[in-house]
Amino acid sequence: MPMKIGNANFHERVETNLHNTFMRGAVAGAQERLHTRRLEAAKELGNWEEWRALGEEIRQHTLENLDYYLMQLSENVAKRGGHVFFAQTAEEANNYIRDVVIRKKAKKIVKSKSMVTEEINLNAVLEAAGCEVIETDLGEYILQIDDHDPPSHIVAPALHKNKEQIRDVFREKLGYKQTEKPEELALHARKTLRREYLTADIGITGCNFAIAESGSITLVTNEGNADLVTALPKTQITVMGMERIVPTFEEMEVLVSLLTRSAVGQKLTSYITVLTGPRDEGDVDGPEEFHLVIVDNGRSNILGTEFQPVLQCIRCAACVNVCPVYRHIGGHSYGSIYSGPIGAVLSPLLGGYDDYKELPYASSLCAACTEACPVKIPLHELLLKHRQVIVEREGKAPISEKLAMKAFGLGAASSFFYKFGSKVAPSALAPFTNDDRISKGPGPLKAWTEIREFPAPNKERFRDWFREHQKGGGK
Amino acid sequence: MQTGTIHNRDKFLQTIADRLGRKQRTERVPRPHWRHQPQWTVFQGYSQDELLEALKAQCPRIHTQCVETTSAELKETLKEVVANHGGGPVVTWDDPRFAEYGLTHLLRDEWPKENTDVHIWDASAGRKNIDFADKANVGITFSDITLAESGTVVLFSGNGKGRTVSFLPKTYIAIVAKSTIVPRMTQAAAYIHEQIEKGHLVPSCINFITGPSNSADIEMNLVVGVHGPMKATYIVVVDR
Amino acid sequence: MKVSLFVTCLVDLFHTNVGKATVELLERLGCEIDFPEAQTCCGQPAYNSGYVKEAKEAMKHMIRTFEHADYVVTPSGSCATMFKEYPHIFQGDREWEPKAKALADKTYELTQFIVDVLKIEDVGASLQGRATYHTSCHMTRLLGVKEAPFKLLKHVKGLEIVPLPNAHQCCGFGGTFSVKMGPISEQMVDEKIEHIEEIHADYLIGADCGCLMNIGGRIKRQGKPIKVMHIAEVLNSR
Repeated sequence: MPMKIGNANFHERVETNLHNTFMRGAVAGAQERLHTRRLEAAKELGNWEEWRALGEEIRQHTLENLDYYLMQLSENVAKRGGHVFFAQTAEEANNYIRDVVIRKKAKKIVKSKSMVTEEINLNAVLEAAGCEVIETDLGEYILQIDDHDPPSHIVAPALHKNKEQIRDVFREKLGYKQTEKPEELALHARKTLRREYLTADIGITGCNFAIAESGSITLVTNEGNADLVTALPKTQITVMGMERIVPTFEEMEVLVSLLTRSAVGQKLTSYITVLTGPRDEGDVDGPEEFHLVIVDNGRSNILGTEFQPVLQCIRCAACVNVCPVYRHIGGHSYGSIYSGPIGAVLSPLLGGYDDYKELPYASSLCAACTEACPVKIPLHELLLKHRQVIVEREGKAPISEKLAMKAFGLGAASSFFYKFGSKVAPSALAPFTNDDRISKGPGPLKAWTEIREFPAPNKERFRDWFREHQKGGGK
Repeated sequence: MQTGTIHNRDKFLQTIADRLGRKQRTERVPRPHWRHQPQWTVFQGYSQDELLEALKAQCPRIHTQCVETTSAELKETLKEVVANHGGGPVVTWDDPRFAEYGLTHLLRDEWPKENTDVHIWDASAGRKNIDFADKANVGITFSDITLAESGTVVLFSGNGKGRTVSFLPKTYIAIVAKSTIVPRMTQAAAYIHEQIEKGHLVPSCINFITGPSNSADIEMNLVVGVHGPMKATYIVVVDR
Repeated sequence: MKVSLFVTCLVDLFHTNVGKATVELLERLGCEIDFPEAQTCCGQPAYNSGYVKEAKEAMKHMIRTFEHADYVVTPSGSCATMFKEYPHIFQGDREWEPKAKALADKTYELTQFIVDVLKIEDVGASLQGRATYHTSCHMTRLLGVKEAPFKLLKHVKGLEIVPLPNAHQCCGFGGTFSVKMGPISEQMVDEKIEHIEEIHADYLIGADCGCLMNIGGRIKRQGKPIKVMHIAEVLNSR
């Protein structure tokens, strides 16, 4: 599926998902667990802030020199017999990959998890070309066989599904006859997918980090599925977002450490695999042919702007795991495969403001995301920047709000207007006041009083009290 | 090795340079001296004994059994561990260390005599190797570098050291020489980087394996043993 | 010590008691209070909604209003944070950036001022009861004031402070977020109140009127008996 999920508008999606009790319980539970694990992993290291600072340094330097490192990467991949295709658009990437698939007369493709391939909608293109495409990451596999249910989290895509739902999908689609116990479900997936790995023509992967100095790609999993996807089929195609690159093995290991601790609180995941080109002479397993597709798809438009820091992202989802808004609305509410704070910043940049203008406002700017990010992306500041762009450059703010803010500007810039306003406020709101509170407010207060009481403006303003207080000589 | 092809690079990189507001960078960009380097402080100054203790402490946390033995006892230890995991079939790397560590007799004579099938990776037998590995109960390799902090074995796969020996069988066993243990991935990465700087080619596949495979994709319940092995044991040879 | 009080628009309009408590408390601790009458609002409502031009007018007015001050003290973590943002917002402006920096450098949130500048942790307050403290987001994460409120509350005689579960989670105020994204804000504040009830607290104490109006307003609507107090009021209790 492409980046955009569905066609309902933001508020409709939120309304629906707020009523999904299971999803909210699952998300809250996952957040508790992952938040705790991340904090423990950070504490165990001891100097987490230094690690974050190093992560930021590495990512910023790499972005500043992105053209150089991509040049080095491509040269080194080619030296090892691999093919490199630079794709400016999603269409170019899909066309190249489809051509390889057709040339190889491939019928069955196995894939390991890759957000960028979802972004460009690769699976649909390959299926239209007559291929069977099988997701091997357990979460993605579950979603795929459940009629392509979209992912709701960058790292744990099937977070919103409970085991009973998964059991029912397996029963319906895979002839599964056992219970909803996770061990049994996983064992069934293992058996089913093992056959697919062994008979697939092509393996397609994403790329956690490409290493420029050697022309290598790094794959980080717990399941080992990426290893089987790349060891068994005869052809391997790796798709990477162009910013997912490091200068050398030494930076790769730092960022991998930050990724695994921030994402799931592990020192390292079970399988971290660095692959370079097709198999060597004399190897029995590994691909005979290797293709690296480097995707822009709007990322270069972010370079050189105030939003450039968002490209530092290593897709760990630490921000998603601490976001109090995501906690209640879940990933599908964002209408994008990129959800949570990173999704709220990235989706408007890659997908435009028309589809995503509410996302930057779906935040209380609590800055938990900024605090959690292992590479120090100032996420809440970027959300604020989006608001500024929406108001000033896009002109998409509602007129009533613009007028209200102009009035604010006047009132707050002039003590005369301000004092006047504060003096008349009690009497202006008197019709709505009961005792000391307002329960059904007019105008802007209406939305507030829908769920909360609002205090009535004090008849004795502070400044009036202070003036008397001063006259009384301080007591 | 035939050189691969590169498509559409020029315009792509020019776009990036334009967006960054400068000319395209093609001259060597020196890697900065990073202002922060906390990765070198982990287990700094640890002796091999201390590193081994750290490795042993980490193993239960990654659902991995850790067994200590000596060169003299290795053969018996290996027999016992494999038996405890349910016996053969066994698939192994074709690696000179099996002879160095005195295990050839076990692989070629003892086990087959006890009806434990053994397949040593044979580069000339092509796909048959993979078929055997898929049906094997146990896969055995050596660890090229071992990371104490995370309990990780580093494998430089290639040729006789098939990638799938450590993935397809139900159980994975790594033979770890105590001298291969380093603090963490930092040291392994530094070593590999040094090799590259010297002009050596990295193997086409380097695995950093930490215990058996697992997933938490179903209601965030950890399930051990998904696509890769379901169990893992490290056998540490303390006098190597 | 002469302290210029930035009382904040919310206190000025809706919570006179908080202002009173702040003045009485600081005077008792030996400060002479200056209240520049021209003060209005720090600009957050406009700035956080993306209206930079309008917000800057308010900010310039505030910079001028406090230009003469030695210390600027405010009973609001988020407003203090906003003042600290001014130099960043006026970056590159040769006239206003230095003035903004001067203001930011001398601005303190109330508890921060008492503990770090006055170097006092026991203000001689007393209040009977079981209370919990709400760590507001901007004050904790952006201003970096984490310990001061707890140090002061520890010495309030008769007050039992119980840690709030999931304290790191936002209460759902976020200024205009609370009205623009009402349904989401409602879920966030309801969860916050559940945690307060979980520990059977009689009092909820905080250092930000925005948060307290949000949580307190919802508590009142739900008819629950939890009393909401600003930390200035608690520290001024005897």
